Parts: sequence; structure tokens; C-alpha cells
Amino acid sequence: MKQTPVLEGAFVSDPEPALVGSKCRSCDTVAFPASFTCPNPRCARKDVVSTPLSRTGRLASWTTVHFPPPPPFVAPDPFEPITVVEVEFASEGIQVVGPLAGASAEGLRMGMAMETVVEPYYSDDSGEVIGWKFRPAEGDAGE
Amino acid sequence: MPVSDVIVAGVGLHPWGKFPEKSWVEMGAEVAMGAVADAGMEWTDVEAMVSGAMQWGGSTGMRSGNTIAAALGETGVPIANINNACASGGSLMRAAYAMITSGMHDSVLVIGTDKSPKGYFPSVPVLADEPRPPVDMVRWQVGVPNPAYWALEMRKRMEAYGSTDEHLAQVKVKNSRHGSLNPYARYRKAFTLEQVMASPMVCDPLRLLEICATSDGAAAVVLVSDKKARRLGVSPLVKVAACSLASGEFGDPTIRIPLLAAASDGAATAPLLSESRLAAQMAYEQAGLGPEDMDFVELPDNSSWHELQYLETMGFCDPGEAEKLLDAGETALGGRLPVCPSGGFSSFGEATMAQGILQIVEVTWQLRGTAGARQVEGATKAITEVYGAQANNSACILTT
Repeated sequence: MKQTPVLEGAFVSDPEPALVGSKCRSCDTVAFPASFTCPNPRCARKDVVSTPLSRTGRLASWTTVHFPPPPPFVAPDPFEPITVVEVEFASEGIQVVGPLAGASAEGLRMGMAMETVVEPYYSDDSGEVIGWKFRPAEGDAGE
Repeated sequence: MPVSDVIVAGVGLHPWGKFPEKSWVEMGAEVAMGAVADAGMEWTDVEAMVSGAMQWGGSTGMRSGNTIAAALGETGVPIANINNACASGGSLMRAAYAMITSGMHDSVLVIGTDKSPKGYFPSVPVLADEPRPPVDMVRWQVGVPNPAYWALEMRKRMEAYGSTDEHLAQVKVKNSRHGSLNPYARYRKAFTLEQVMASPMVCDPLRLLEICATSDGAAAVVLVSDKKARRLGVSPLVKVAACSLASGEFGDPTIRIPLLAAASDGAATAPLLSESRLAAQMAYEQAGLGPEDMDFVELPDNSSWHELQYLETMGFCDPGEAEKLLDAGETALGGRLPVCPSGGFSSFGEATMAQGILQIVEVTWQLRGTAGARQVEGATKAITEVYGAQANNSACILTT
């Protein structure tokens, strides 16, 4: 089946799943998704390159969405609540939202280690749309 | 230095709700004429207009001011149509304020009229010039409606300060009691804690009754110079003592609608909702007043989270203290600092172009002493703030 990324260049699957942002070589500011320029207003050089984010971060927050969002969200029928998580990547100084891989928010704890995965978001006539998701990291003991 | 003070000479408000039989043009024309009449003026006396550029109204909606002027009779005056999302009303106020303080005009009509789509606000269609990356498309594919952004912040607040589901519900209980006293409000039922807690979960921890609805609504004000106010015999003189507009600061950890990332809390170099703090600070400075001088507040209670957070960003308490003000009844009518005596967006629903102007109408009525059953006794000073997507914020301080 044909696979289309939900956002071109925002993640890689090889060698391991990871988000891809931009990093300023002058001031180290990281942006996600990647920007053509540096968002730091005090940075004059604005010299950005593509950079993969750490594969693992910490759970900063989450919410379960109980009513289906409108298109372009593709809601299964019947709709099952989806959980959106916010993951902090401390070494990049950035927090990113994405869907929780797996249905249930049960067992989520603030600060737990989360890892990036690449999974299908939905499929339609033209194939499968894939994107980043987050899930509790294997063997995470919490702190 | 300003060459003139800015006086609210007239106000007009349409009841809020859903009016399928009435167009936004009719609603806008009605409040425009209402505000002009309230100022003791004629339509042909208006020197300039600013109007909310309503994205839901298509191409004519984006030029709502011209559309309304064409309906009521074109007079050739300058018309600016402005969109700053839900902060549009405040942004319109500031544009009009600047036209009068600069001496450019003696009277400016400010109009917001809006018919909002039901449910979660949808994205607008992607056009050929959609910025890359198209984050407003992607965030919907990820599945992040606006209240989810607020819910993510609220869960952090609960973790940091021990805020509870009951606090979120009590905000609605309070604002619904205020709204029950306002004949213009869409929702006039005073809810109990149990009723709010029993409402469906939308984006946990936020429940249906803790998130404002989307409404049809319209509001207008006529701002005039002090010279014009004297000529009109405006009394009492409700003065716009400050009107500020701010945007977000780099390094703010708030994940902005419709973005997908922000500075992490650990790496943040600016405060949460930096635009609200900035707008409030600028307004206090302009007016030469502080939060301790305010008799009441109209803030953007888009959700119960907003009300708690804005009490802090607007300088009324330290981080984590808003729940204590709520628990002590200080933010209710009769308390030390009534918050949203109008009933707030919680009772009106959002009508994005008009909600900032709704606040100005309410404050004007309060300062005139004509707010009826919801009157804040003896009020002479108040501040408003609106919250707009992508970090827009405007604050106004009105005094009498």
C-alpha cells in the first residue's frame, strides 16, 4: 500500500523512528517542524540545518479527545476517543504534540519516558497516511 | 503624547445565540446604529470605521465594514477591516484608540459581527499560498482541536498546583450565575456544581460546560475625542484609559493554536501566555494604574482554564493562587474582584470578531451604573483582555 507522510520531512523511520526539526548553527535554537529560518529574534545569522530530535523524551502533558475533530481529521466510525500527548525533549529545549500510539491513556504518568514511533494515522483510497506518534518507552520505570 | 482622551460615547449589543433567520450584516448594522444612536450621533457623523474581518463570512465577511456601510449608506469614510482571531475586538479597539489619541479623527465606530460555525472551530481551506509547513492542516490530522491545547495546559496546572476538577466546574458555576442576570447572554441558566460535573468530557480535564460555545453575536462602540464628547454632552464620561495589543514572545512554552511545538518548560525564556502578561503590563503602565486599582475584570473565559490562568497573567495573583480567589468567592459578584460580571464567553459563547467589543459594552454599562441585577456596586475602573489564536492579546482599561 502506498504510504504518504502526514508532513514531508518531519520524521524518519530509518535507522530508528525520530522527529526531524531544524537547528540553528549560530544559536542552537531547535524548531519543529523544521523552519527555513531561525525563530530566535535575537539571532542575526539564522543559519539552519535539518536535525533529528532525540528519540526519547518525557511526558509533559496529555488529553483525551472525546468528540471527533472535523476534517481533515479522519475519524473512524464509530469514533473512539483519541489521546494527544505532549512530549518534552530536554536536550533540544522543545516540547511537541502528537497522538499516543495505542488507544488508552491509562497508565500515563507525568514525566514518564516516551519514545517516538512512526505509525499509520489513517488510510483512504490513495493509500495510508503515516506520521509520528509517541508511546511509553520500553522498560520505563517512571523516573 | 496623546492629543486627546478617548471617550466611549455609545454602545450597541445584539443578544447572542444562533440566529439562522438573520444575516451577520443585519446584526452588524443593528449594533452599529444602536451605538451611533446611544452616542447621540447620526450615521453621517461617523468619521471612520473599523470592523472585524470575519473569516467565516467568506470574501464579504473579510470586508464586513464595507458591507455594513453599503447597507446603511456609504459616506466615503475610511474603513479598516481587521482580523486578529479571537483578539480581533481588542485589536479593533486599539486601532480606533490610536486614531483618536493621535488627533486623526474625533469619532470612530468599532464593529464586530460574527456567525461562528458550530462545534470545534474548523480549519480554513488550504490555498495555494498556504505557508509551508501547513501546520493548521497537520494539527487536525494529528487530532488537536482548540480545547485540547487548553486541556494540555490545564493538566500541567493540576500537576503543579493541585487544582481539581471541582475548580474547573466552579468557574462555570460562578459565570453561569452572572450570565443568568444578563438579558443579552445566550445561556441564562445558573448551573450547579453537580450539573457541570455531569456534563460530557470533551478534552479531559475540560468538560462541555467548561468550554465556551460558538455563537452568533454582534457588538459596537463609538469612541470619540474629549472635545467631541463635550459637544455631544456625554455623561457620565467613560474614558478608555489604556488600550494595548501584544503578541507572543520567543521562548514562551505555550503551544500555540495551531502549532505543534513550543519551547519546553525547562528551556522556556518567556512566561506562559507571554502576550497576556505583556498586554496587561502595557495597559497598566499607560493608565498609570495597577491590578489593585481594578474594581472588576472581563477576561477571556474561553475555558475554565483560561479564567484561572488569566487571573495570574493579568497580575491579580501569583502562580497557583487563582483557585484560592475562586474558593474564597472573591471573583464572584459581591466579592472583592468580580470576574466576568457579564457572564463571560461562558454565557455568551464565542463570536470571534465581536467578543472583545462585548467586553467594552459590558464595562461601559457597569461604569455608567446601568448593568441592572449584575451591577458591580460603585465600580469606577475595570480591565478587559481577549485571547486570540497564535498569540494575540489586547487589554483595555476603562475608568470613570
